[in-house]
Amino acid sequence: MTADSLLFFILAAMTVGSALVVILASNPIFCSLALAMAMISVAGIFASLNAWFVAGVQLIVYAGAVMVLFVMVLMLFDLKDEVRAFSRGLVSGFFKIASVAVIGGVIAAAVWMSTETIFSTAPAAPTVNATVATKQLADLLFKKYLFSFEAMGALLLIIAIGAVALSRIEGGTHADK
Amino acid sequence: MPINDALLNVGLSHYLILSALLFTLGLLGVLLRRNVIVILMSIELMLNAVNITFVAFSRYSPTANMDGQAMVFFVMTIAAAEAAVGLALATTIFKKFREVNIRYFEHLKG
Amino acid sequence: MGRDSFEITVNIVKMFAIFLLMVQAVPILVWLERRGSAFIQNRTGPNRVGPLGLIQLLADAVKFLFKQPFMPERGVAPLYYFAPIAALIPGALALNAIPLSTPIKIEPFEMLGQMWGPYTFLFQGYDIGIGIVFILGISSLGVYSILLAGWGSSNKYSLMGAVRGAAQGISYELALSLALVGILMVYGTLSFKEIVDAQAGPLTFMAFGKEYVIGALPNWGIFYQPLGALIFFAATFAEANRLPFDLPEAEGELVAGFHTEYAGFSLLLFYIGEYGHMMVASALLATFYFGGYSIPFVSPEAVNAFWLAKVDGANTAAILTAVTHHLSLLVRVALFLWIFIHVRWTLPRFRYDQLMSLGWKTMLPWALANVVVTAIWLWLGHRT
Repeated sequence: MTADSLLFFILAAMTVGSALVVILASNPIFCSLALAMAMISVAGIFASLNAWFVAGVQLIVYAGAVMVLFVMVLMLFDLKDEVRAFSRGLVSGFFKIASVAVIGGVIAAAVWMSTETIFSTAPAAPTVNATVATKQLADLLFKKYLFSFEAMGALLLIIAIGAVALSRIEGGTHADK
Repeated sequence: MPINDALLNVGLSHYLILSALLFTLGLLGVLLRRNVIVILMSIELMLNAVNITFVAFSRYSPTANMDGQAMVFFVMTIAAAEAAVGLALATTIFKKFREVNIRYFEHLKG
Repeated sequence: MGRDSFEITVNIVKMFAIFLLMVQAVPILVWLERRGSAFIQNRTGPNRVGPLGLIQLLADAVKFLFKQPFMPERGVAPLYYFAPIAALIPGALALNAIPLSTPIKIEPFEMLGQMWGPYTFLFQGYDIGIGIVFILGISSLGVYSILLAGWGSSNKYSLMGAVRGAAQGISYELALSLALVGILMVYGTLSFKEIVDAQAGPLTFMAFGKEYVIGALPNWGIFYQPLGALIFFAATFAEANRLPFDLPEAEGELVAGFHTEYAGFSLLLFYIGEYGHMMVASALLATFYFGGYSIPFVSPEAVNAFWLAKVDGANTAAILTAVTHHLSLLVRVALFLWIFIHVRWTLPRFRYDQLMSLGWKTMLPWALANVVVTAIWLWLGHRT
């Protein structure tokens, strides 16, 4: 099991490190590239959990499409290093960090205590062939959650129309100024 | 649990702690950053943390059900939709003010 | 990775061998491209260095290696230097996941005074069950190398090329993925090996629950998915940034696009990435639509029996069988690579709005229609 745990710790370190760069880097381009790295690491974590199909979809959707969109938009904006990347105010900043610490602590404590009592002895479910697992997933998506799936499709259509409408306000992308 | 055991046997709690860490970092980004796009990216981080939890629970549940992995698809769809609308809003802001700071969003009303 | 040291060693060597195969094929392809373009344009092409000019590329590579590396003054160093390496990664990872021949079954043999147990070596770097999804995911990361190069160079032409490349990449990936959905529906699997196995034998159609066999044709995917094959083929041109879709490096408008600021070895790495992308695309096209490594009308067992009769030793015969099938795949890959080159020197470049409207308004609806028609056809075919 040592190879597996080593893999997990490498992936976890990559994920957390990239996440730190996302929230700390003052140049938004580096933020977005670090987030892409985080997405790829999360795909690796999914693969280490034997969720191969989800890992592949994570690569295609997040790393391949959503993050490319982010990077492209940022490059078109051509923002320089931000002078004031973080919100100002000592008191409000203190309260923000404190609230984050409280929430993080609550989540961590909840996780820790619940796993100690409920899940610590539960062994991992037996692994199945990736193709078989994908078929099970498809069965769930297209039978049990069919309505939600279709609702998601409708949502995506609405979002696409909305995004086009938003970006075409005031003459659209080819407005001459 | 002893340190050695925690290092060698990666289990559900490891994934959940990683997910909590990622979620907290995302929350920190949302609260502290001023750039709209960075805020959107921090939200993506939080959604990814939730996805890790779903997949981890699906893997370590005693009956090996795939419902958790099915949920990931819905989260991903929502995240993609949110990114599309958020980026469209950000471009609108940018076209008007040549910057994407969050404080310009109050000019969107009316 | 394997159960003992021999298996682990072979598996690791295999991965590096496939990576080196990709890198080493590039000089031959560049030679083919230059001679081919010369042939198409009624010129001679490089013919001085070595027989038929074959050593020309070695000379070029040496020249590339000894060029002074430089960086634009206001470039972003980490991005600038990482971009050429990132160009190599998707091609190398993807080529490793494609089965290049039949698995080799090795009987127990003696070496270094020890018996080494029976092995089964796959003729590919690693076998991932969800092969197709993996390849799509990995190749969607190829956009980053272009974006990094464009931003890291701190040059307007580079940036324009990079943004064009990224927009084109994500637009055509939709059509490409949807074309593959047809293949997934027909074969009902994500694994390359099962797709290749399903394409053995003569063409077999299911219609209204009855089976029709056409003995004269092989059971290839292109007969089930002709439109899908066409869309996939066209989309791979855009993914590999080749003419007629090479807007990211359109030299008439953008100097050299995203690699304007690159010279010497890092430029060579970009070229290796591009040709690697072409190789992966050709291998995928062969695997999905042209029977992969299978030889039409001849089963792997028959090939093995043929070699068993010719040479002594089951292991040698197994290796020769795999090599024969590998050659069968290589013939197709070489043919598709030649089509890539021929198209580049035959067709003019699209205008950018034409490219986008082709991707979104023509190829995407046709790919969607292909999925719907495939679904109806499958439903009709298996209904009694």
